Amino acid sequence: MLEAKKKHARFLFLFIFPAFIIYTMFMLVPILNSMRYSLYTGTGLLPDQFVGLDNYVRLFTEERYYSQFWNAFGNNIKFFLIVTLVQNIGGFFMAVMISRKFRGNKFMRKLSFLPTTLSVLVVGYIFKMILNPYYGVFDKFLELIGLESLIIPWLGDARSAIWVVALAVSWQFLGTSILFYTSGIDGISDSIMEAARIDGANVWQEIIHIILPSVLPIVAIVTILIFIGNFTQFDIIFAMTGTRGDPNYSTDLFGSLFYRTAFSNSDRGGWGTGMGATVATMMFLIVTVGVGTFLYFFSKKREALEK
Amino acid sequence: MKKLVLAVLLCALTAGLVFGAGSQEINAAASSDSGDKVKLVFTSWRTEDIDLMNRINAEFTKANPNIEIEFQPVKNTEYDAQLKQSLAAGVGADIMFLRSYDGGYQIYETGSLTELNGKISTLKDFPSAASAAWSTADGTSYAIPAVGVVHGVYYRKSIFAKYGLTPPETWAEFMTVCKTLKDGGETVFAQGTKDNWMLYEVVYSGLGANFYGGEEARQALMNKEIRFTDPGFVKAMEKMKELQPYFPTRYEGIDYVTMQQIFGTGNAAMFIGGSWEIGIFEEMGGLDDVGYFAPPVEKAGDTLQYCFHVDAGVGMNKNTKHPEEAMMYMKWLASPEYAQLMMDELPGFFSYTPGSYSLNNSLAKEMESYVAGSVPTVRTLWEKLSAEAPSGYDLICQAIQQMYADKMTPAEACAYVDNGLSWYYK
Repeated sequence: MLEAKKKHARFLFLFIFPAFIIYTMFMLVPILNSMRYSLYTGTGLLPDQFVGLDNYVRLFTEERYYSQFWNAFGNNIKFFLIVTLVQNIGGFFMAVMISRKFRGNKFMRKLSFLPTTLSVLVVGYIFKMILNPYYGVFDKFLELIGLESLIIPWLGDARSAIWVVALAVSWQFLGTSILFYTSGIDGISDSIMEAARIDGANVWQEIIHIILPSVLPIVAIVTILIFIGNFTQFDIIFAMTGTRGDPNYSTDLFGSLFYRTAFSNSDRGGWGTGMGATVATMMFLIVTVGVGTFLYFFSKKREALEK
Repeated sequence: MKKLVLAVLLCALTAGLVFGAGSQEINAAASSDSGDKVKLVFTSWRTEDIDLMNRINAEFTKANPNIEIEFQPVKNTEYDAQLKQSLAAGVGADIMFLRSYDGGYQIYETGSLTELNGKISTLKDFPSAASAAWSTADGTSYAIPAVGVVHGVYYRKSIFAKYGLTPPETWAEFMTVCKTLKDGGETVFAQGTKDNWMLYEVVYSGLGANFYGGEEARQALMNKEIRFTDPGFVKAMEKMKELQPYFPTRYEGIDYVTMQQIFGTGNAAMFIGGSWEIGIFEEMGGLDDVGYFAPPVEKAGDTLQYCFHVDAGVGMNKNTKHPEEAMMYMKWLASPEYAQLMMDELPGFFSYTPGSYSLNNSLAKEMESYVAGSVPTVRTLWEKLSAEAPSGYDLICQAIQQMYADKMTPAEACAYVDNGLSWYYK
């Protein structure tokens, strides 16, 4: 029996092996390699002078570096909060809506996922055009309904730019959270819902007492996915406000900061590959710590719920 | 169940083998088909020029039928990062545009460029000021100085005629023109401030040079004799601020392409722009109605400080798969034949290649006509002052954008730049 199990294990290993090789070659090695580069400095693309932790010291003690790092960190938190709120709340209510039985609900389900299938760049450029102060339709629409006093140069104003970018991302990926929440709602047994209805629960009570508690674990999944996505977000910034996070670095996220500092020439905001790798390693740490914290927090919550 | 799994796996394996072999065959067929034909990839930051460059390169292929040039430009703002990355990854273009001074030099430092001394014999005849922008301190050349550009003001002749206006020569006249147009209800400038590189490269370097003292002041700044907070630079900044009331509504959200569209479609009276834009305006609505004047001077009789910027050099990838063919193409790029073709196809791009040329575009002629009586200069913080972070380039772009967002006064904007450049004065 034991013999058979061992054979089985060996057989299983064969299946994992290709994935393991690919993962190591294309994920683990580059990550470790980039961490190694963060300990080096030099003018070329592959830094060659070993400096120990000097890059980290410089990142956190020299104003020209830390001002941009903490600025991107702050923007990223802001960006994450907006996206999390919109995607969790919006996604949840959309899911509740389309999981109810009505004519065309199947069509609505499919429609809700459509934006997610678009390229981020396409979404970025479309939003940029919609918000263009000269020919964009959004300002024209506001004028039409008499709200022209609210119009501002959306992407050119440091107050609104981060909101616009965050909302564009939320709009695009709302489909994913709807998908997660509908699967959660679909998993609720019909008999429970029926019982509630017989007891005379209205929609609101159904949501509060039945749906919400059953989909709570999904909040964790959605939030963690958003966290990882947002702290490595690059494409939307590239498409909408450029890799310098214009205006005045107000939309500069870790993704754009890393890209700019690692790969640009110094005149366009580059810090050299060594410093770039340092930024990347810090991003990696922040995401790891963040995900760990979320997992810990949510598993505590779940334990408490299960008790 | 096991049998089924096995069967599926077998099928997959067989399919893989079949398709794998198939694609190999296709590859073999393709390479034998093309014979000795070599394809060179040429990249630049000029995404607008694909058709024009293809026409120019077709001339080269006509003379060298076995060499084909594929022009693959990359978005201006992302060009430098992509170039650096692709060269490092070994998939870089064979021939490439290089920025002048530090921008190009940093690419050279990565060891990816062919040194051109002795390889292109005509290179020594190029104007030394241009060659210096793509050479090391000890005189090693790594690019052919290819393109110079000028900055000034485009205007719509019909709108000017409507108000009886003529191109202004002094700043005071310029302001009167602006006021007249605004009072008449026109959109005076097509200028927006969303893309801040434009504010520095074209607006401040172009129109500001007459106020900060042009080339002499730029040299003094580089030699650490004066600082960016000195009255000249602040005064230039103040003058740029005077333009703000004449920008279109919500200019903070207007990006570069939108600016070109506004002016190109005749919806603004003026556009502060670079000579490289002639072609774009030609495509958008023709040039019959478009005029040009050089940056207005402070007082009548002042010498024009003309920003004739060393814009692009052409370098060659050291690790190209086709070094011989690439060098043949490089030699052609350094020839008067290419220079004339380029200036015909791309009016507003001025060649440094020695020779006598005819400019067939009246706007380009107009732009060039100002050179004779002027002191040429290049963009303010381009040389040396952008070699480290935070670069003069980044600082001044941000500062001017902030000034136009009313977050900084002109003096504060200059102080911001000067403060950021503290690494230069160490």
